[in-house]
Amino acid sequence: MEIQMWQIIALTALAFFAICENLSTSVLANQPVIIGTIAGIIMGDMKMGLAVGATLQLMILGVGTYGGSSMPDYMTGSIIGTVFAVTSGKGMDFGIGLAVPVGLLMVQLDVLARFSNVFFAKRVEAAVERMDFKAIGRNTWLGSLSWGLSRALPVFLMLIFGQNLVNLIVDYMPDWLMGGLTVAGGLLPAVGIAILLRYLPVKSYISYLLIGFFAAAYLSVPMVGVAILGTALAVIAFKQFLEKSQNVVAVNTGSAQEGLLDGEFED
Amino acid sequence: MENLKINQEKITDQDIKRVSKRWILASQITWNYEKMMGVGYLYAMLPILRKLYKKSEDLKEMMKNHVQFFNTTPHMGGFILGIDAATEESGGKTAKEAANGIKTGLMGPFAGVGDTIFGVLLPTIFGSIAAYMGQNGNVTGVVIWLLVNIAILIFRYFTTTIGYREGTKLITSAKDKLDALTHTATLLGITVVGALIPTVVKANVAANFKTGDVTMEGQAILDQIMPSLLPVLVVAGIYFLLGKKKMTSTKAILIIMVASIVFYAIGLLA
Repeated sequence: MEIQMWQIIALTALAFFAICENLSTSVLANQPVIIGTIAGIIMGDMKMGLAVGATLQLMILGVGTYGGSSMPDYMTGSIIGTVFAVTSGKGMDFGIGLAVPVGLLMVQLDVLARFSNVFFAKRVEAAVERMDFKAIGRNTWLGSLSWGLSRALPVFLMLIFGQNLVNLIVDYMPDWLMGGLTVAGGLLPAVGIAILLRYLPVKSYISYLLIGFFAAAYLSVPMVGVAILGTALAVIAFKQFLEKSQNVVAVNTGSAQEGLLDGEFED
Repeated sequence: MENLKINQEKITDQDIKRVSKRWILASQITWNYEKMMGVGYLYAMLPILRKLYKKSEDLKEMMKNHVQFFNTTPHMGGFILGIDAATEESGGKTAKEAANGIKTGLMGPFAGVGDTIFGVLLPTIFGSIAAYMGQNGNVTGVVIWLLVNIAILIFRYFTTTIGYREGTKLITSAKDKLDALTHTATLLGITVVGALIPTVVKANVAANFKTGDVTMEGQAILDQIMPSLLPVLVVAGIYFLLGKKKMTSTKAILIIMVASIVFYAIGLLA
C-alpha cells in the first residue's frame, strides 16, 4: 500500500500537535499506545496502530522526563512504526523494529528543542525589560515551534523519503533479521519493566510485586482484575498508613505528658 | 505595609482561573535548559502581577523575579501559583522574599510527589491496562486512559483556586494524606508491574532436547519449573544490568535487539 499525501500531512500535523498537547493539557499525553492508535486510524488500520503503540508503550511505562531529562521518543516512533507496518504489509514486528531506532535517535532532537527555547526565553526577558506584555505572550507561545518542529520535521522527511528505503529493506531482508525482530518485539517490554522497577522502591514493596505476578502467572487474572486486586490492597494500606501517622502524633503528645498517662499505656 | 497595597486591584476568581488556564497551556511550552519553567511561570502570573503592582518599576521588578528558574511537576504547579498569588496579594512587594521562598521551597517536594503519582504510577497502571488490551486488539484500555487524563486535567484546573484559598495551610494539612497517597499508589503500581511480567514479555524457547527416543520440548520443561520463567529472568537480568555503571536504557535496548537476532538465528528462541 502506498501512503497518500493527505496521510503524510495529517501524520506530520499529529506529531506537531502531540508533543505540544503533552506539554499542556496532557490528555493524549504523548503516550505511544494513544498516538499509535490515532496514527492507525489515519492509516486506515487502527488495530495495527494499537498493536505497535501497545508494544512501544510497554517499553517506556511510567518513564517520564523528570527534571528536564530526555527519554526515547516512542510517540514519534509509534507514528513511523505504524505507517511502515501498514504500508510494507510486513506486520507489527517489522513496525516495531523500525520504531525503536527512530525513538532512540529522536532523543537528540528533544535536546535540540529544549536548547532552542533558550532563544525565546531570552526574547521574553528582553520584553520584560521593555514592559512589552504582548511580546512576552507571543514569545512564550513561540516555544511551541521548537517543540512541534522537532517532531513534525523528522516525521515528514521520513514519510516522504522513507518509503523507498523501507521497500529496499523489505525486499532484501533475510529471515534471521525478520525472525529476530519478532523475538525482540516480545522481549523488549522487559526493558521497560526493568527501567520502571529501577524507578520504583521495589525492595520495600517486593511482596506486592509477587502478589501481582502470582495472580497473572498462576491464576491468569487479566490486567484489569489485577488492578482491582491492587486497589483493594491499596485501600487497606491507605487506612493503615493514616492510622499509623495519627498514632505517631498521639504517641508524641503522649510522651510529652508521660507521667500522667503512664498507667493508661500499661494496659 | 498597608500603603504599599493602596493601588492594588482586588484579585477575582476569574483572575485565578485565568492564571490556571495559562499555567496548564504554557507552563512547559517555553521549557528551556536555562530557566526551565520560569517563562511559563511569568506568563501564567502576568494577569495577577498587572493587577497587584500599579507602579511600573514595581511591576518590572516582580516580572523579572518570576521569570527566574522554576521547575516542578506541571500537574502540581497550580497549587504553588495559587499560594504565591495569595501571599503577594496580602504582602505586596514586601512579600517578594516570601513568594520566592514559597516557590523554591515547594517546587522540589511537589515535584517529588507529583512525578511519582502523575509521572510514574498513573501511566504505569493505565498504560499497562491500555497496552495489555491493545495487544489483544481491544481499544477499551486506551479510551479508559483518555478518560482518566481528562479527569486529571479537570483536577489541575482547580488546583490554583485551591492553592489561593487555602494558602500555606494546604502544605501542612495535606502532607500526611499525600504521603499516604504516594505510598498506596506505589503499592498499586508495583502490583500491576508484577502482573505485567508474565503477560506482556513473550519468550518462547524453540530448542528441543533429545535423550534417547524421548524428545522434550524446551518450553514445556521451563513451564514445569515456573510459568513465565524466561520473562522473569530477562527482566531480572536487565534490572541487574541497569544497576551497573555506564549502562543506559538505550544500551539495554540494543543488547536485547542483538541478542534476539542471535538467539533466533541459532534456533534457541522463536
